Amino acid sequence: MSTTMKQTDDMLSIARSCIEIAKKGGATEASAAAYRVRNVDFQWRDGKPEKVEESTTRGVQLAVFADQRYAVVSTSDLRREALETFIGDAVDLAKSLAKDPFRSLPDPELYKGQSTVDLGLEDPKYDTVTPELRQRIAKEAETAARAVKGNEAILSVTSNVSDTLTERFLVSSNGFAGKRRDTSFFVSAQVSVKDKDGRRPEDYSYAGARHFAEVPGGAVIGREAGERTIARLGAKKGESAEMTMVIDNRASGRMLGFLMGPLSGASIQQKRSFLEGQLGKQVFSDKITIVDDPFIPKAFGSRLFDAEGISAKTRPVVEAGVLKSYYIDSYYGRKLGVAPTSGSASNLRWTLGDKNRDALVAGLQDGILVTSFLGGNSNGLTGDFSLGVQGFRIRGGKLAEPVGEMNISGNHLVFWKQLAAVGNDPFPYSALRTPTLVFDGVSFAGV
Amino acid sequence: MQDRNGIDRRTFVQATATTAAALAVTDLFGLGKALAATGPAEGIGYFSRFGVTEKLIKDTLGAALSRGGDYADVFFQHRITNNMTLEDGAVNRASANVALGVGVRVVKGDQTGYGFTEDLTADAMKRAALTAAAIAQGASKSAPKRLNVTKKDNRYPVKVKWEDVRPTQKLTILNGLNEKTFAADKRVQKVNINFMDGNGVILVADSNGRIVEDIQPMTSVYLSVVAEQDGRKENNTVNVAARSDIDFYNPARLDKLVADGIAKTMILFDAVQPPAGEMPVVLGAGSAGILLHEAIGHGMEADFNRKNVSIYSDKIGKPVAKEFVNIIDEGTQPAARGAINVDDEGNQVGKTMLVEKGVLSTYLHDSISAKHYGVKPTGNGRRQGYEFAPMPRMRSTYMLPGPHKKDEIIASVKKGIYCDHFSNGQVNIGAGDFTFFVKNGFLIEDGKLTTPIKDVNIIGNGPKVLELVDMVADDLKIDEGGWTCGKDGQMVPVSQGMPTVRVASITVGGRAETKKG
Repeated sequence: MSTTMKQTDDMLSIARSCIEIAKKGGATEASAAAYRVRNVDFQWRDGKPEKVEESTTRGVQLAVFADQRYAVVSTSDLRREALETFIGDAVDLAKSLAKDPFRSLPDPELYKGQSTVDLGLEDPKYDTVTPELRQRIAKEAETAARAVKGNEAILSVTSNVSDTLTERFLVSSNGFAGKRRDTSFFVSAQVSVKDKDGRRPEDYSYAGARHFAEVPGGAVIGREAGERTIARLGAKKGESAEMTMVIDNRASGRMLGFLMGPLSGASIQQKRSFLEGQLGKQVFSDKITIVDDPFIPKAFGSRLFDAEGISAKTRPVVEAGVLKSYYIDSYYGRKLGVAPTSGSASNLRWTLGDKNRDALVAGLQDGILVTSFLGGNSNGLTGDFSLGVQGFRIRGGKLAEPVGEMNISGNHLVFWKQLAAVGNDPFPYSALRTPTLVFDGVSFAGV
Repeated sequence: MQDRNGIDRRTFVQATATTAAALAVTDLFGLGKALAATGPAEGIGYFSRFGVTEKLIKDTLGAALSRGGDYADVFFQHRITNNMTLEDGAVNRASANVALGVGVRVVKGDQTGYGFTEDLTADAMKRAALTAAAIAQGASKSAPKRLNVTKKDNRYPVKVKWEDVRPTQKLTILNGLNEKTFAADKRVQKVNINFMDGNGVILVADSNGRIVEDIQPMTSVYLSVVAEQDGRKENNTVNVAARSDIDFYNPARLDKLVADGIAKTMILFDAVQPPAGEMPVVLGAGSAGILLHEAIGHGMEADFNRKNVSIYSDKIGKPVAKEFVNIIDEGTQPAARGAINVDDEGNQVGKTMLVEKGVLSTYLHDSISAKHYGVKPTGNGRRQGYEFAPMPRMRSTYMLPGPHKKDEIIASVKKGIYCDHFSNGQVNIGAGDFTFFVKNGFLIEDGKLTTPIKDVNIIGNGPKVLELVDMVADDLKIDEGGWTCGKDGQMVPVSQGMPTVRVASITVGGRAETKKG
């Protein structure tokens, strides 16, 4: 049984033939993305393998344009005769719709100037990760989790080791052809503990990297998961109050994530964004500067071209609190009458502060450290949000009792101006790369 | 490729569909009908068009058991999903997705090996089977000699197959909704509508010699409204969903959808975020079933309990709520989004009592947990698709009617809130903390609904909140919304329902207006 995924161009020829079939069927333009993904996920629980999953999957997504009518279709049924019927139907489907003068492939000028830098997204040693190695790492994670102080409360430890090799081809009928191969490796551990009141709190830790050698070992992940979970023991609901909030770098990604929808061209054009009309204005605290940087070596959001084939560029998003750009794809760019940037984020590179989480906590007399969110939502049009939180009270510069079953509410247009500090500790396992963030005057609901 | 930090979360979202649109598949439902009446030899109806034969299935099961697993199954799936989207007054975007593949699972005790392939050839399926087989390390076991067709009901008959519906029929519905929504109120600025339809066909066969096919239709319409008044904008989204055909969209249902969309958006101009803190909360009949889904449903999924990590792990047979509280999960409601004829392990589907007369009764089982507990599977083994191994999942979760009246319940609250439109929820299985997000509701002051409220999260602890459900009305309503439940990265369609109920006290995540910290 082959465990590798050879470098072949068969998916490229499938993408090319999809375009050919679409044009023969009456499409004026088309673009096709064909992919093949090999994925292995090994799960270990309480001393033995729990689940082993392994697969190689492939498929194609095709956008067809027929006289400014548009449909996008995808299939995993790549048999030639099935593809021909499928694509013929796709062109017919497009033709049944209303004409849309804004629909076409991107201007080929946007394909130009593609960087040739090596982003280092593929680990050449991908093949050296064996089932035995995965199992060893997963066991190490469990052993480390069970070795932490307070371990007598542990009910169960589950650890996962997974890796993915992705190969993707993007071809457009107006001249774009791009290829991308990348790898990723993740290790995680989840721990459940029994609390005195019968509750069974759980927490987890995870890490990942494009190169296997850069993933912290199972022992690091397991220990962190164990410590995080045991720290949850005895969590109580705190009082309703207005307080300073520190959000750790893993949790703060959720808060930032709520801005990404409202920053999109679709939200702006559809009048569903509280950031409409805010370009060039001071929307955030002047402590926030964020650059969309597609060229960070080995990072999860790095790329040379985006989903439409538009050449990647480094772009300021927020400069000293002033909103500098939206995420606009070629379609909404035409609808809005502005030049497209890109429809999606790559990596967010923050201008960092000079303190880590612990130092930021040490500087506070009173507040709450939020380590995770639970449910809740954010209204992208009004900016109102309301979210479940858990974490720890901060008293006299130290972490005090764990708190849970609490909630924060606010409005993004006010909230982000209350940002008091940015940490120096960007979370490396997500493309958002958020550091620890500190906000003043946050409304907490509890008892 | 972003955060993989979902491992301790069970999310519950009502997302607008993103893929869509249909491909013709010949004779989809004709074959289904033939199947119900046939014997073992005709177990493979629909999938014979892809070259699937009984020999292929038996060979694959044989390879799956070649290293001595206790049990193996194969899960074939062919699913066609269509979407049409209206934006800026025109239906100018459509999508179609076809998923075709087979997953092979091998179970050894509580352990699972899983492989899948999109390539339905003997070689590719054998490779997937051998991948899954590696979970066990013992002597080979033999495949079943014959496959017997499992009997099932048809809970979602359709008159017209989706592939026989012309695009213009859907366009008429979308354009009609758009015109009516704009005509209903001058403040409407933008209308977005998504129409989804699809057919998923599954075939499950296992090492016990069972085989079953099921054809599962699905459709939904989302209507989203942006309105502007005095320079301020608000928006809201309403939707309906069912395992049904285009007749589901009768004029009355479509008119109600528009009326709901307008009412739930326009009232937001007068709405406030409620004060923060603990207070009595009255939940309106219908989609408030989200409380059950989060507060108890997930925690009763038996995988969490066999692993000893659910807050309900040691509570079977114990009182958890007042005597008039009865909570059910079932898959048998005709045409419901959460209905299934068989589960994704080929098991029969019925009604499961989670709570009976206030006492915790039965977990939701898949085959692995049923074996672990020595009980019959409850038909809750479900999966998103062939890429995934099944696990215990909810179907349609609701509370039976109780002894109180809606008016009586509202009148009983001096200061609290009433909630009747929800968007999403989430739960931590072990700690039991859960949330649900309220899009619309009212303040209750001196027993009367007063100021409208909006966009507030409610957070509680499952067992505590169940104890605090102290009034249940007689007005049970099963919601028609397009609810989708997420667990360990797998999304499945579900339904939910609720009579009007009162929770004596729960934390409302409004704006703190009192103490400074």
